[in-house]
Amino acid sequence: MRLRKLCYVAVLAGSLQACIKDAPMNPEADIETFTIDKSQLTSDVFIDQANSTIRLYLTPEAYATGIAPRLSLSTGATVTPASGDSIHFDTGIRQYVVTSASGLNKKTYKVEVVNVGYWKWDFEKWMINDDFKYQYPIDEDSAVTWSSGNPGIAYSGVDEDPMAYPLRATTDAYHGKYAAEMVTREGTVLSGWVGIKLFAGSMFLGVFNIENAFAKPLEATEFGQPYKGQPLRFTGHYKYKPGAQYQDKAGNIIPGMIDSCAVYAVLYTGTTRLNATNIHNSDRIVGTAYLPDGSARENWTRFDIPFQMKRKVDNNEKLMMAIVASSSKDGDNYKGAIGSRLVLDSLEIIHE
Amino acid sequence: MNIKMKGLLAGLLLAAGQLSAQQTYKTSDFKPHLEHRIVAGFNFGATAPAGLPNTIRKINSYWPEFSPSLGYELAYRITPKWGAALGVKLDYKGMSTKDEVLYFPTIITTDDGGTFAGDFSGKNKTTVRNAYVVFPLSATFAPNNKWRFNLGGYAAWLFSSNFYGSVSDGYIRNGGPTGGKVIIDHATFDFGTDVRKFDIGLQGGALRKVGNKLEVMGNLNWGLRPVFANDFKGLDFPLYNIYLTLGVAYKI
Repeated sequence: MRLRKLCYVAVLAGSLQACIKDAPMNPEADIETFTIDKSQLTSDVFIDQANSTIRLYLTPEAYATGIAPRLSLSTGATVTPASGDSIHFDTGIRQYVVTSASGLNKKTYKVEVVNVGYWKWDFEKWMINDDFKYQYPIDEDSAVTWSSGNPGIAYSGVDEDPMAYPLRATTDAYHGKYAAEMVTREGTVLSGWVGIKLFAGSMFLGVFNIENAFAKPLEATEFGQPYKGQPLRFTGHYKYKPGAQYQDKAGNIIPGMIDSCAVYAVLYTGTTRLNATNIHNSDRIVGTAYLPDGSARENWTRFDIPFQMKRKVDNNEKLMMAIVASSSKDGDNYKGAIGSRLVLDSLEIIHE
Repeated sequence: MNIKMKGLLAGLLLAAGQLSAQQTYKTSDFKPHLEHRIVAGFNFGATAPAGLPNTIRKINSYWPEFSPSLGYELAYRITPKWGAALGVKLDYKGMSTKDEVLYFPTIITTDDGGTFAGDFSGKNKTTVRNAYVVFPLSATFAPNNKWRFNLGGYAAWLFSSNFYGSVSDGYIRNGGPTGGKVIIDHATFDFGTDVRKFDIGLQGGALRKVGNKLEVMGNLNWGLRPVFANDFKGLDFPLYNIYLTLGVAYKI
């Protein structure tokens, strides 16, 4: 009898296998890699897949002469201009159009050259992402240098409402009209499916790599922007109120535990961004400025933290500066208190 | 000529009918009667699409879940060969499968109002185990006293549902093939509460006598109503309950 049952199962499985149809043509149209010589870069190229934007961090020489990037694409896809063609930044052609192997889909990538001009932010200009309605701050010159966990949270089925996201603008400002507000929120049912019960509010100088958002979240937050100079102090203003109940990764309340915020700047060498796995302990780090006490501050409080330098930096050295802030210090491990609120305004890196 | 032919045909049919009626009358002292059976068995099959869509690239494995079926059948034998049967049974219909998909469109809506639409490529494992109260109704035909065949339909009410699984080793693209790609190492899903409460379908099979009161049984049940409602977009193709019950019947 058992044998017979097995036979039926085998027949059924076999018949299902026989029904497999031909594979669909590849409908994907990604630029997967965008490679230029490292000597032309002040930081690694970032392909912002969520916003179809290639963000370039170029040396002044590379910007003046143009670049000839080599591209790799989704299997079978084609691109114009072609891989290896030169692009110049004075001609205004700043986009790539990729056509999928199936011919059905086209994806247009904008090319943006990013420069951090002033190391001073008042968070007065905010944009809203069209698709998901989360906010992000832009610099005075409209460059996108700050990022946050918002793009990842957008994929977790939160409401399409700026206030549903942990990072947003607030009129509760120290200076000017707006400040950056970070509020730790609960996870969604969907984020629970990948084991995430809490989203800490965060913002950081750097980029968010959506590809790693769920599988390797600590590597999704890539911290840092190209920096030149000798930093002295990290200054700014903040307010902080921890949420009522601290919870661990599994969502269990830990009685007596009080959430705290994190605000810090890290200077490191190289062009490849550090992420949440190595921002505190990489041997590329040359200087740090940590807010020493992340406890509650009801009123606007100024901080002025001198950089602890391991050594003096060389003027020709390629350096990156990260600034990271979170409304829950252990939010990168999905621990914290829902409702913890950090407000930041008037940040500055003061150089020699 | 035509009329003659028709007349002849009608005559023949009439004669044949009378002959068979006489035979029945002669060969048995048959009286219409009721038969009661307890039927028990296991369901083997799948909650599956009627044809596999091209987004399913590979079925790596399949196994039936523990899916017992237990019920009672009341049959009414009108003539020695023909009759009708009505049953009530408790049917578990379940299976598990591991497969690999490519650009598999899904729209997931969750209780907290969250929604995600995108295409998944990677591995999938799904377990289905739904329990129904089923009312099968059949016409029965018994050509001899060893065999009885039945064919009819069924109506089934769901009383417990499981439809869950995981996806792994792949990625999902938000919104479709050109959306942002997010690697999925492992994520679980649960569509149990989306399973429809009511199913109807066709069913047919056979009983074969193996003892005084004991018969072995095989019955195919083919659902005609998709297991998920049309507004469910977790899968972009309908699934049907297609299960074979193998078991025994005991006359009481």
